[in-house]
Amino acid sequence: MLQYTLRRVLLMIPTLIVISIISFAIIQLPPGDFLTSYVATLRQQGEDVDTAQLVALEEQYGLNQPIYVQYWKWISGIVLHNDWGRSFEWQKPVGDLIWERIGLTMFISVLTILVSWLIAIPTAVYVATHQYSFLDYLMSFISFIGLGTPGFLVALVFLWVMLSTFGVNIGGLFSERFIDAPWSVERVFDMMGRIWLPILILALENTAAIIRTLRANLLDELNKPYVETARAKGVKENALIWKYPVRVALNPFFSTVGWTLAALVSGETLVAVVLNLQTSGPLLLRALTSQDMYLAGSFILLLSTLTVIGTLLSDILLAWADPRIRMEG
Amino acid sequence: MSQQNPTHPRSVGRRAFLRLSAAVGGSVGLAACGGGTPAAPTAAPVAPAAPTAAPAPTTAAVVATPVPAATAVPATTSKFVEAPILADMVKNGKLPAVDQRLPKNPVVLDSIEGVGKHGGTIRRAFKGVSDRWGPTKLQNEGLTWYNPDLSIRANLAESWEVSPDAKQWIFKLREGTKWSDGSEFTTDDWKWWYENILLNKDITPALPGNWSTGTPRVAVKADFPDRYTAVFTFANPKPLFIYNVTRTGGGVDGDGPFVHAAFMKQFHASFVDKTKLEADAKAAKFDKWDLYFKDKNNWWTIGRPTIAPWSAKNALSEQLFTMERNPYFWQVDSTGNQLPYFDKVTHLLFDTPDVFNTRIIAGEVDYQARHVSVGDFTLLKEGEAKGNYTVLNWVSANHIAFQPNHTAKNPLIREFFQSRDVRLALSLAINRNEINDLAFNGTAVPRQYSPLKASPQYYEKLSNAYIDFDAAKANELLDKAGYAKKGADGIRLWKDGSGPVSFLIEGTAQAGSPDEDAVQTIVKYFADVGVKATYKAQERSLYTERYNANEVDSAFWGGDRTLLPIVAPWIFLGSMVDRPWAGAWGLFYNNEKDPNAEKPPEGHFITKIWDIQTKIDVEPDDAKRTALFNQILDIWAEELPMIGVLGELPAPVIVQKGFKGVKAGFPTDDTTEDENLLNTQTYFWEDPSKHGG
Repeated sequence: MLQYTLRRVLLMIPTLIVISIISFAIIQLPPGDFLTSYVATLRQQGEDVDTAQLVALEEQYGLNQPIYVQYWKWISGIVLHNDWGRSFEWQKPVGDLIWERIGLTMFISVLTILVSWLIAIPTAVYVATHQYSFLDYLMSFISFIGLGTPGFLVALVFLWVMLSTFGVNIGGLFSERFIDAPWSVERVFDMMGRIWLPILILALENTAAIIRTLRANLLDELNKPYVETARAKGVKENALIWKYPVRVALNPFFSTVGWTLAALVSGETLVAVVLNLQTSGPLLLRALTSQDMYLAGSFILLLSTLTVIGTLLSDILLAWADPRIRMEG
Repeated sequence: MSQQNPTHPRSVGRRAFLRLSAAVGGSVGLAACGGGTPAAPTAAPVAPAAPTAAPAPTTAAVVATPVPAATAVPATTSKFVEAPILADMVKNGKLPAVDQRLPKNPVVLDSIEGVGKHGGTIRRAFKGVSDRWGPTKLQNEGLTWYNPDLSIRANLAESWEVSPDAKQWIFKLREGTKWSDGSEFTTDDWKWWYENILLNKDITPALPGNWSTGTPRVAVKADFPDRYTAVFTFANPKPLFIYNVTRTGGGVDGDGPFVHAAFMKQFHASFVDKTKLEADAKAAKFDKWDLYFKDKNNWWTIGRPTIAPWSAKNALSEQLFTMERNPYFWQVDSTGNQLPYFDKVTHLLFDTPDVFNTRIIAGEVDYQARHVSVGDFTLLKEGEAKGNYTVLNWVSANHIAFQPNHTAKNPLIREFFQSRDVRLALSLAINRNEINDLAFNGTAVPRQYSPLKASPQYYEKLSNAYIDFDAAKANELLDKAGYAKKGADGIRLWKDGSGPVSFLIEGTAQAGSPDEDAVQTIVKYFADVGVKATYKAQERSLYTERYNANEVDSAFWGGDRTLLPIVAPWIFLGSMVDRPWAGAWGLFYNNEKDPNAEKPPEGHFITKIWDIQTKIDVEPDDAKRTALFNQILDIWAEELPMIGVLGELPAPVIVQKGFKGVKAGFPTDDTTEDENLLNTQTYFWEDPSKHGG
């Protein structure tokens, strides 16, 4: 097990190097760079930017250098000095920008995941063991709706209904007077009063997906001989279900935990945009559209690293949960 | 009025504002001048100056400073009243008394709804640091500014003079004007800016257009004979400089002389230990100290002294950016109240229009036009009662317009668009009234791309040229131009019969927007006269790349800068290549060595336009300049270089109930800082206690 883990960790290094190169290249792919849009806005504001100025700006910001030089500057800064570069759009160090938002993002994401598990796993076990019952049909219906409706649309609908019927704007995590207030008990209460809605909306899709997968897997397992054997030996039905088939049925669930880590950071970007949550998802989206390359690049690198780490974790979890999984090869 | 030199162009374009003035009614207009120091015999008496300030006394839209205020203010200091917050600070000894904070001769201004009340907060929305122009325009103060009729008034400068050749400009500052930290605002700081910023090759590697003339650019020569006088001498005439100084100076991206030297020295390599400075720059993740310096030189840097009505209290990159009043602000109203009226201005971050609109309807936006889309007009109007606000319509300087590229790379398309008959036909083929009803609820005005009615350069001949829908005439013109033959599908054939007349229209209008509805309808009208056009919405940076390489056949990208086109004539010149009617020629105008540039043919109308512009560039006389500009507009009316469809589009301004100082009907354009033409520092709450103060 230890050797397996070690090998996997070493393998991560080349993977990450390749990922960093690819992500940096992808960010450079669209035509133009940050200066193009910057100069466009300057001109729009009536500033007369001439060619000499443009060239000078490119030089000042180091954008006239070949891409490999820019890449090296970026990656060596991160690896050697923990320097993630500077965001053109926000005029702030990238590190500060990301860390500023990551706490709230993690908080929301972890809560979302817990909520969706809490709802999904018991529900899935219930509907699988009570196949074709009324509740099974009802939950299937709801979870199909959850799967089929994008979260941001649900968010928009909620936003509008609340606004048009109650005149309340539910966007944002704090009400107006608490936005820039220092942390206090009132502020936490204010946030808790508002945070449940985005979390429910965010959890909706995830919950539906888990219910569907777990139900299907569990149904496969329930008819297997080992369940019959256990039952024949007199194990109580409830203990039996939770101890054997559910554990096996959770396999696909464990193997996707890897992606959850990245999702913790980039979250449900669109829902966050619509609900005006100050999480990292909207930041990444903006960075990509405005070609704010150091911010976007660092984000993608961070997400990829988390995915790689997450994949490793999920493999280890899987090996631990399912003794049938072999470690070599 | 401040001291006036008979040679300098004081009153810029005061005509053609009657319509607007009528809308304003008999309200008290802005007190247009800085008052006169009674002791100074040079100061023009107020009464004789009034006719200059108010060309049409019957409308009373613009009146000079009420006489008693102008004379009494500096004499009896008890006349000055400060905001309650500041009065408390004075009592506690944290601030000097108000008369010590104001200059000897403060600017006297009233809102268009009269004298206001101190206190309260206004709430706005913005998209973060990259959207810095929202808060910037709101707080900006220049040497001069506009009266509501678009004439120029004295502001931070008490007076100015210009040489007859328009090469030399002399500005007099107001004695006793203070920075927001209480230190004196004098030309000593300007001198530091001139020597250590403008002429510093690290900080300013290439000269900005406002502070230079000629090609290649030659920097202005600046002399400061005393602490209140600045003399700027340019190598070439710069008659429009007086417009440039309405906006430069405030310190956005480091442009302008309002730099507090003592503060900025901390970040300048010539004044502090360079190794330490470089280390600080590195710590802030900058490669070099000059970028660090430029960043600090923005007006929103916390602690950087400013001359604006409000200064930054926290970082612009925060979710809620807050500005608070400058206790040393150098303007008062006619009863002696120190401006601004509002204590605080806040900008709350948003990412999508949905979030922004939700906030408006929930009544969380007090005053804003920026990012309010005319496409959402109905929605916003319906929400008025719920959100306790009013949607005031201002007049946008933008136009719905189509730009055929006269220099399209495809020779067939180029020949097609270069034909005057074709352009006239395309204009006549458009049913402007129908588009107006379909896409804009009939709120726009059918017109060519031309100066607004409120503009001093308004020119009816161009606005109304070939705008009446006449498909028969359009067909006739196209036949005459040599495109009479049609294919089986009813589409006209190129002259050589090689295929159907077909081209791409590129733009950034996205599906579902009124602009996109308009362009799709235009495509349909073109098809009706046998011309096949296809609209393609591009991502903006791709579009930028394509027009810079002269790759576009034709474009659909509005036309603005029509309020004071004399200051920003680039679309008329074809040199603003994102409206690429003159594609390769425009690139040539900007930079002859551009690989995609082409010299326009000898005797082409565009060369005539450019010749006239070179005369405008050096013409010191207002009236003559406008007359010359009219010649350019004559050429436009004759040739229709690009095809305007609708203009005078409504620009919705959201105003909370009880918010005073703004009325409907004023023009918005970038040149006059959009919705901020009317001096934001004179806006006030009818009842400040309901708005946080």
